[in-house]
Amino acid sequence: MKVFIVDLSVCNGCYCCQIACKDEHVGNDWSPYAKPQPDTGQFWIGLTEKVHGHVPHVKVSYVPQMCHHCDDAPCIADCKAEAIYKRADGLVVIDPEKCTGCKLCFDTCPHNAIFLNEQLNIAQKCTGCSHLLDGDPEEWTVPRCVDNCPTEALRFGEEADFADFIAEAEPFNSEIGTKSRIFYKGLPKKFVAGTVYEPTQKDVIIGATCTLKDTESGETFSVKTNNFGDFWLKGLQDNRTYTLTIEKDGSSKVIPGITTDIDRGLGDIPMAMAR
Amino acid sequence: MKPVKTKDKTVLRSLGLGGYFGGGAEGMVDVKNGKIVRVRPMRYGWKYKKEEVRQWKMERNGKILEPTWKSLPGPFSLGYKKRVYSPNRVPFPMKRVDWDPNGERNTQNRGKSKFERISWDEASAIIAGEIRRVHEKYGYNAILMQGDGHGECKTINTPHGHPGVLLEYLGGFTLQVRNPDSWEGWYWGAKHVWGQGAQGIMYPAANIVKDTVEHAEMVLFWGCDPETTPWGFVGQFASRLCYYLTEVGIQQVYICPDCNYGAAIHADKWIPVLPNTDAALQLAIIYMWLTEGTYDKEYVATHTVGMDKVADYVLGKEDSIPKTPEWASAKCGVPVWTIKALAREFGAKTTSIAHYFGGGFIRGPFSHEPARLECILLGMQGLGGPGVHQHQWTYFGLPRAEGLGGTFFWNPEIEERLALPVYSSVAAWQEQVIPKTLIQNAILSDEPIKFRGTGAQNALTADQFSEYTFPIAPEKKGSPIHMIWTDSPCRITCWNFGHETELALRSSKIECIVAQHPWFENDCLYADIVLPANTHMEVDDIVTNIRQGTMQPNIMLTEKAIEPIGESKSDAQCVLEVAKQFPGMEEQMTEGKTTADLQKAIWGYMGGEKLVSWEQLKEKQYWIYSTAEDWENDPPGFRQFYLDPEKHKLNTPSGKLEFYSEALAKAYPDDKERGPIPKWVEKSHNHDERLSSPRARIYPLLIMSNHGRWRVHAQCDDITWTRETPTMKVTGPDGYKYEPCWLHPFEAEKRGIKSGDIVKVFNERGIVLAGAYITERLRPGVAYVDHGARHDPIKTGEIERGGAINTITPGAITSENCVGQIAGGYLVEVQRVSGEEMDTWRRENPEAFARKYDAAAGLRVDAWIVDGGDK
Repeated sequence: MKVFIVDLSVCNGCYCCQIACKDEHVGNDWSPYAKPQPDTGQFWIGLTEKVHGHVPHVKVSYVPQMCHHCDDAPCIADCKAEAIYKRADGLVVIDPEKCTGCKLCFDTCPHNAIFLNEQLNIAQKCTGCSHLLDGDPEEWTVPRCVDNCPTEALRFGEEADFADFIAEAEPFNSEIGTKSRIFYKGLPKKFVAGTVYEPTQKDVIIGATCTLKDTESGETFSVKTNNFGDFWLKGLQDNRTYTLTIEKDGSSKVIPGITTDIDRGLGDIPMAMAR
Repeated sequence: MKPVKTKDKTVLRSLGLGGYFGGGAEGMVDVKNGKIVRVRPMRYGWKYKKEEVRQWKMERNGKILEPTWKSLPGPFSLGYKKRVYSPNRVPFPMKRVDWDPNGERNTQNRGKSKFERISWDEASAIIAGEIRRVHEKYGYNAILMQGDGHGECKTINTPHGHPGVLLEYLGGFTLQVRNPDSWEGWYWGAKHVWGQGAQGIMYPAANIVKDTVEHAEMVLFWGCDPETTPWGFVGQFASRLCYYLTEVGIQQVYICPDCNYGAAIHADKWIPVLPNTDAALQLAIIYMWLTEGTYDKEYVATHTVGMDKVADYVLGKEDSIPKTPEWASAKCGVPVWTIKALAREFGAKTTSIAHYFGGGFIRGPFSHEPARLECILLGMQGLGGPGVHQHQWTYFGLPRAEGLGGTFFWNPEIEERLALPVYSSVAAWQEQVIPKTLIQNAILSDEPIKFRGTGAQNALTADQFSEYTFPIAPEKKGSPIHMIWTDSPCRITCWNFGHETELALRSSKIECIVAQHPWFENDCLYADIVLPANTHMEVDDIVTNIRQGTMQPNIMLTEKAIEPIGESKSDAQCVLEVAKQFPGMEEQMTEGKTTADLQKAIWGYMGGEKLVSWEQLKEKQYWIYSTAEDWENDPPGFRQFYLDPEKHKLNTPSGKLEFYSEALAKAYPDDKERGPIPKWVEKSHNHDERLSSPRARIYPLLIMSNHGRWRVHAQCDDITWTRETPTMKVTGPDGYKYEPCWLHPFEAEKRGIKSGDIVKVFNERGIVLAGAYITERLRPGVAYVDHGARHDPIKTGEIERGGAINTITPGAITSENCVGQIAGGYLVEVQRVSGEEMDTWRRENPEAFARKYDAAAGLRVDAWIVDGGDK
């Protein structure tokens, strides 16, 4: 059984996966696997791009999203026309001939991965490029999006071959319980970052201990400022409230009320040093 | 289920868009029923086993870096099918309706009046007639040939420049000389410090990738975006190299006004500097090193000249202004503590500096100053020593391939039909020449124009000390310009002060403009005759993917994928159609050789017989070079100079790094913009583009502009699939897809601008409309618009809707004695466009708003064809 795996630590946001899907499916009719995708507006695989932080502590994340080819796929269960089926290799495909365009699957898909082609009056989504896997198996062992990926952030293959990755994968909509066949690592988590400097000498403070304390749980996260006076406290949970304490050689600074509803770039933080 | 047929055939292409006989970003193109069905990365193992090819490997901390066994094209390369089938393709030869070669020419209507279909026979007869008429009336130098720049990778049908072959054979022509548009500062500055280099860029640069990987502790990506410009040449290996640096713990610091696409994912530290103020930051670093003694004094003593003069200036002995971090901070916007931290980190750690052309560092006013200061910084830290280099990130310095021959720009063996088109891009080889930066001055001015150095890419440093005049003397057949033949032009959107270009193209002095291009874009709007060229998908050719930093060099035969679209013909054939009108000319140009003959000849120039038999190349369609067995012995960068500066002198007058240039001091004693040592230049008679200027009260933002992420200069603005990404276009409330203008929330809020608003970016030189993209990826004080969006005039010379930001760049050259261009670091203001203002423009320029438009692909040619484009 096949799986997709996504290692976001090496996704550079080139959108080549999204473009591969369009190149394969726009203007090409692969019936009975898929009818043509509209030129624009549909993303059988689509990147979600997000800017995090504040100048000068800024990062951009890119997360490709697509059909999860669920083992317990609500779309299959709900389809009255029996147009959606699961293949032996695990891929879930909508039969464009049987689809009546009733939109039920569009409404029930918990991953928002199904699109409506109003011109053809059918529902459409990722087919895993099964027409290629079946039609030319010597040439094609992976879908187009995976073939286009320049950094191997996106991969496809036998579940057993990716067992280690899957064991470490992070939950992504998995609470829905549809037994997804796509696994992610490196999903964006919140950060708090800043640059600590001494305002009289106008020098960065190197080696200051920066500690975030969760005001509710008491959990702490700590890191030292680097040679640029920077600290990056990464991997924080959403929507927590922290108190930041910066300490060096008996001097300290406390910044309460830092919330992780968004990533926090705190900019340049002055801390007077005891003489 | 019955398997579907996925293709009829597969052909190979170089999907890079650099052109010039070379390429990369190789791809496989699948064709079915005469149509391109897919464009995909090339599998190098298609017809070769990996064991047949010797690949290179690099290692640091036990981690291996090696080339991938598949090419890594960028998104516009992989979406190129949309470019080939773009609604903007020129379908047939066209003539402007109110341009009559035998009557009224209505040059004032260029860029306004529409076109009508004519036949190839009519087009070639008109063009030949105009050539004869102009030759007779004014002489052959009255015809300007604009045929230079980047484009698709083809060799026989290289874009740009074929008209020059015909015009040369008819007597000669005036050549537009392409300036070093993406690396001005090094060309006009660095050459005087470290010698000729590769057009000013550090060279030799062999093996600097390996050496940096093995020895550097830090790489400064200074005005460099490795996730943008490399894509257009060879694809995304640069991205993998950056991830590798992270993996092995080499610190990556980005110094740029924007959190660019590389910084956004790779940076350990982003230092947002104000555009074109890097010189101040550099001077403060030198100040820190001088005062803290943290530089390589021994190297400076033995390898450089002029440190004392630089030190006098930096420490304030010359002008009473010490270039302290406090002084610099006020100019460059980087906090004092961060400047000091950077200086100390740079002084303590083995550091290389990386660029990849473009960016905010090297294309502003006086760009030779930051370029020269960079040479001094590297020199003060032992340039050429382990891990201390200047990079064009992967463009130079990858391992040497075995048996690399060449289709060089000028190789006497190569037939002129192949060589001259590319030669016109790199050499000022005609008697009468004009730097591309001065074209509009040459057209609009009645006075002769003088310039120092042509800016030609293959020109030697000495050329910068020669004075040229346009036009040349009448007895030498000098003449002003009266006709233009332009090949794949984009001057308006990619060069300086495009609005002025537009007006110059309307001059009545220019009696005829011929444009040839696959797409009806940019300068084509101002032509009188347009010839439909075709794309690389529609011709047979041969490509040598060996230049510009290919990780896995190869040669490929590129078999025609599809039949020509419409009535298009190859770049070469467009010119040959006109040549047929002159007795014997077609034979002289082609020498009776077929495409197959030329393919085989090019294989020969590559030293083909020593590499792969012609039969094998034909059978397999490609051949892969092995890495040279002894590649690791190539000395990295300036290593030999580093080890023995007396024996291995640089190509400067003293043979050393010239922090002070005696040659510049002697030749240009009064030059306050580019003196003998590099300085901070606040303003000059040419440029007043600093925040300290009174102009900044009206135009308080500095422009940051790079090569676009989703284009290669002007190429690929019409790919519907990249246009869907959030940073390629911003859809305005009117449905038009505007070029994004990035603004920091602080600046946006001050101006009442919200994401998605239509804004105008403007200064005295005109107005450019854009779509607001409010982001923390840009520091305050800056507006960011990439160059290269397609020109869409609301009012020619004044109001630009397509987002071509270079329409309002300064017209003046880099500095008095440097004919470079300015592409960033100048003053503008940004305001929200009110409905009232838009309505006024709509009322006053109804035809501009009535043109047919396609939000998905943008501009379309039928909008400019009579009866074809009205809504």
